[in-house]
Amino acid sequence: MTSLWTQIDDILRRRRAVQSRSTGSAMLWMIGCIAGFGLAYGAVMGAFGGVSGDRPWQVAYSALKTPLLLLGTSLIAWPSFFVFNTLVGLRRDFARATTALMAAQAGLAIALASLAPLTVVWYASSSDYGDALRFNGAMFAVACFAGQWLLRDHYRLLIESDPRHRWMFWLWLAIYVFVAIQMSWVLRPFVGDPNAPVEFFRREKWGNAYLVVGRLIYDALVN
Amino acid sequence: MKRWLTDLDRILRGEATRLDASQDEALPIPLGGLLLVILLLAAIYGACMGFFAGFREGGACLMQWLAAVVKVPSLLFLTVAVTFPSLYVFNALVGSRLSFLAILRLLVASLAVSVAVLASLGPIVAFFSVSTTSYPFMLLLNVLVFLVSGILGLAFLRQTLNRWNIRATIATPSETESRNDTLDRNVKKVFTCWMVAVMLVGGQMAWVLRPLLGKPTEAFHWFSPRESNFLHAILEAFSNLFS
Repeated sequence: MTSLWTQIDDILRRRRAVQSRSTGSAMLWMIGCIAGFGLAYGAVMGAFGGVSGDRPWQVAYSALKTPLLLLGTSLIAWPSFFVFNTLVGLRRDFARATTALMAAQAGLAIALASLAPLTVVWYASSSDYGDALRFNGAMFAVACFAGQWLLRDHYRLLIESDPRHRWMFWLWLAIYVFVAIQMSWVLRPFVGDPNAPVEFFRREKWGNAYLVVGRLIYDALVN
Repeated sequence: MKRWLTDLDRILRGEATRLDASQDEALPIPLGGLLLVILLLAAIYGACMGFFAGFREGGACLMQWLAAVVKVPSLLFLTVAVTFPSLYVFNALVGSRLSFLAILRLLVASLAVSVAVLASLGPIVAFFSVSTTSYPFMLLLNVLVFLVSGILGLAFLRQTLNRWNIRATIATPSETESRNDTLDRNVKKVFTCWMVAVMLVGGQMAWVLRPLLGKPTEAFHWFSPRESNFLHAILEAFSNLFS
């Protein structure tokens, strides 16, 4: 238990300690953190419709989806990040860069879990589905900010050793956000409308987040 | 196989083209093995791209998926094959020091860089292919991915040429330096023209080999009839994106 606490504290506080431990076991710890804390927040998020009847399934689905969103996006974006790093000649730092990325993800998951009590209070005080969606959106935004903060801190150490890492930092953010937006669209519903049946994926077509937003803007401009 | 991948890795890291790399042989890489790796990586990207047809609504079109796996490597090799002879001839005409084999190796190495980038972006394309039903969006995403990988391959080619230039300048006695400078400038001009040509040919080659993605509304066919051109199709995809 103490060891778990030290690990969490290290991720949040001691960038240098985390970076110097870029071994397989440290990586596993961070993946564990993402899975565990993501699961915890996801379960709380999915409890909007209560836990009676078939609603526990929504809790389970949401719990699974949050780590899936974080780890899946990283997994999809990672190969191209590897090749781009190699191409600009930063391969020797790549293990440290990956550690930084995973630490930021783990930090994001921890921040999310720390916000879970707020979500519980919100759910207890409002039954509006739209508001619940917006509140969860805000919690994700705060956690993303925390994750990005950590990533920038980790990258500061890397940029000190080679300024080209600055480009790679922005590249990672661009690829990650591009994939994450579509991933969160595909994995909907996260909160689960109490009036809709419980389901892992939306029954309608998956669709494309960018086209939906683009079409909304297009319609607003044209009509 | 492992050795070939190591060779690809050395090219990506820039080790194979370093200034202090072997002087007597330009780009010491085994062509055969590298070509095989390129073929494999291009086919992997083709498979990712083909997921759009493989997961289409109303039944998967496996033939279209297979066509993408075959067509992406064909597209790349045909583009290089079509543009290589003119590059060699014009290089020789302006008096370049680069031999036939050196140019071939340089092209294959650049192609390897492009294909590595292409294959590494494969998972992103595969993910969008599976989750998107919009044909214009997937078309534009694929064009963007090809464009990025093409530009990076060409940037690698340009950088390698510059390195060779520096190496030659160091190795050449000073009295012939100014003559070499003019020649190198001409060689660079030839390569710059060739880069523009290769982009245009690549785009048009993709158009000739279409359908690579396969419109969801059309039945499978290996080749489409001759009509229109690549740039026109891109503009059309833009205008259809939100309609």
